[in-house]
Amino acid sequence: MIPDLNPLLLFFASVFTSNILLSNFLGMCSFISISRDFKSSNGLGMAVTLVMTITTVLNWIVEKYIIVPFGLEYLRYIIYIIVIAAIVQILEMIIDRISPNLYISLGIFLPLITVNCAILGVALFMQLRNYSLIQSAFFGFGSGIGWWLAIVLLAAIRLKVDKAPVPAPLKGVGITLITIGIMAMAFIGFAGMINVQ
Amino acid sequence: MNLLLAPLIVSLISSLLASLIVIVDSIVNNYGEVNININNGKKILKVKGGSPLLFTLASQGIFVPSACGGKGSCGACKVKVLTDVGEYLPTELPFMSKDEIKENIRLACQIKVKKDLNIVLPEKLFNVKKYKGKVISLKNITHDIKEVKIQLSDKIYFKAGQYIQVVIPPYGKIKQSTQRAYSIASPPSKNTEIELLVRLVPDGIATTYIHTILNVGDELEIIGPFGDFYLRDTNAEMICVAGGSGVAPIKSILIDMFEKGITDRNVWYFFGAQSEKDLFYLELFRNFEMKWKNFRFIPVLSKPQEPDKWDGEVGLVTEVMARYLETIIDKSLPKEGYLCGSPGMINACESLMRKFGIDKVYYDKFA
Amino acid sequence: MKMTPEMIRAQENMKPGVITAEGFLGHDDRNIIDIIIADEIEMEKLGLHFSEVAERMKEILKFGEKGLGELVSYEHFLIKVDEARGFLPCPFQDGVYRKKVVYVKNNANNENLMFSVLSIHLIEKHHFLQGKGSKFRLEPFKIKKVLFEK
Repeated sequence: MIPDLNPLLLFFASVFTSNILLSNFLGMCSFISISRDFKSSNGLGMAVTLVMTITTVLNWIVEKYIIVPFGLEYLRYIIYIIVIAAIVQILEMIIDRISPNLYISLGIFLPLITVNCAILGVALFMQLRNYSLIQSAFFGFGSGIGWWLAIVLLAAIRLKVDKAPVPAPLKGVGITLITIGIMAMAFIGFAGMINVQ
Repeated sequence: MNLLLAPLIVSLISSLLASLIVIVDSIVNNYGEVNININNGKKILKVKGGSPLLFTLASQGIFVPSACGGKGSCGACKVKVLTDVGEYLPTELPFMSKDEIKENIRLACQIKVKKDLNIVLPEKLFNVKKYKGKVISLKNITHDIKEVKIQLSDKIYFKAGQYIQVVIPPYGKIKQSTQRAYSIASPPSKNTEIELLVRLVPDGIATTYIHTILNVGDELEIIGPFGDFYLRDTNAEMICVAGGSGVAPIKSILIDMFEKGITDRNVWYFFGAQSEKDLFYLELFRNFEMKWKNFRFIPVLSKPQEPDKWDGEVGLVTEVMARYLETIIDKSLPKEGYLCGSPGMINACESLMRKFGIDKVYYDKFA
Repeated sequence: MKMTPEMIRAQENMKPGVITAEGFLGHDDRNIIDIIIADEIEMEKLGLHFSEVAERMKEILKFGEKGLGELVSYEHFLIKVDEARGFLPCPFQDGVYRKKVVYVKNNANNENLMFSVLSIHLIEKHHFLQGKGSKFRLEPFKIKKVLFEK
């Protein structure tokens, strides 16, 4: 049963109210490490958004025309991951060609998008919540933008925090996790507005 | 049925995606044929794009000096690129000064050839060639310096004082080949046989190889010659300072001068070492002193083992040189400095020489 | 302990033949994060701070450099700084360092130590004293004996 949700509403919901990062805490590894640098955060955010949108749509098609008809539900995770890996591989080549600088600053995190839990998470939510193709596209795109927004915000906050007198034991990851917690709480404020779950 | 279907479908999806990757790869990573324009049309190379500039040029027989062999760790392969090839990479920035960035000097090993390029190279690089060499003698001349004689397959033409790069093949646990620069110790008159002095560096990839693995009869690849350290054609008095493996280029220059009969210039050669056991080639230099009246050889020991027997200078080579410049060497004549050694020694000597009004100081920039 | 991607990359760079002939790990098969944590505990026990050790080393290097490769006396130390051409990149990829090696002997107890400019950076920024059996491994008790005992 396809839920009755306006795709645009779904888009805004996945950016703000149920931000994949701040409400589901998915995709934390690269979120914490890359947010150290604003420029790379922006680049990675863009890459994740692109991968998320493309893979969600592709995985929806694969789900509907291959997995369900052939009864391969038990192979869903593997198939999703294969699709994601291939898309990331292609994106990697394109980024290397267009912007070698971004390629180097993203470093290991670009191939690691493959195992970014947020991307698989979005694909699985899309399947679990029975979204239509249009809804999936907006959901994937929105979640990507949400992830992008969150990492850019965190990177901007960290720029400020770097100059603040943080107590020694909390320096680095410690204060970052606390910052993320407070950010997540702030985003919960949006959750009252729209409910998609 | 299901047992067969599942692997079949998974492999079908995989191969579909794999072929998609191959197609994208052939489009994205195909740069086609690219022109490299060197020195405003002096030389135009047609090459296949996609590789770093350093290797692309090497494949065309132009060897930009590189001490690490393209790993971005020595910063030697600087090339002026006139075409915009994008922002500086984080791997380049540690080696660049502000002026170099303004001039758009890049590391040839880090930038890839992706489109037509205009670059500027010193013309003398066109003389640089790759030689096959065979080790014909290995000799320990002090406890940590080896003299290596290499016979070359082809004649090499260089200026006394220049250096070559030795290609160190992979060995033991070391999986990649590396390159290191060594000054030529023999004079240019011997053009099929060169001599190098190699000091063992603790844990050094190349020096460990030369000291412990290399044998007489082994083959080595050599690229060169490089460098701006050579005798300037003036009448100025020469103040030379070198010790350890830094003796190599000075020895080449001195023998070359002697062979060519340039013996009317005043030469002061300060050889710095710790104790008697670190001195070498004494006979050669003492011999020069006898036959060449304008040549003065001044060995300086910082810690002689037998102070009673040692009749030479004692102290740091810089202190002794300063004392000579102050009291012994005629101040009125124009002078030139020729240095070879560690960057610390070169800095100390250069600033001292400038204090004494010697502003023409030459040494290998590669350090 | 979990290794961050930076650490995994650094550990790859520390293998023999990547940056130096023997590498930075010696015969130590622990992950570098475990080496660092064990050494941090060891240093704490001995009352040593990484930044202080690095400062002390820089001071010794500064005086040793005046010898231009020959032996120099400074306080109760005998120091020799050797330099080879070129640079070494830090395995954590945050800079390049000159190939300067410092040999220091404490005349009070005849203990000696060898470290490089890169070692100082590794101590200061990464708390990394290198793996057991590495040529440039710095044992905390040895650091204390050589650099801080009179």
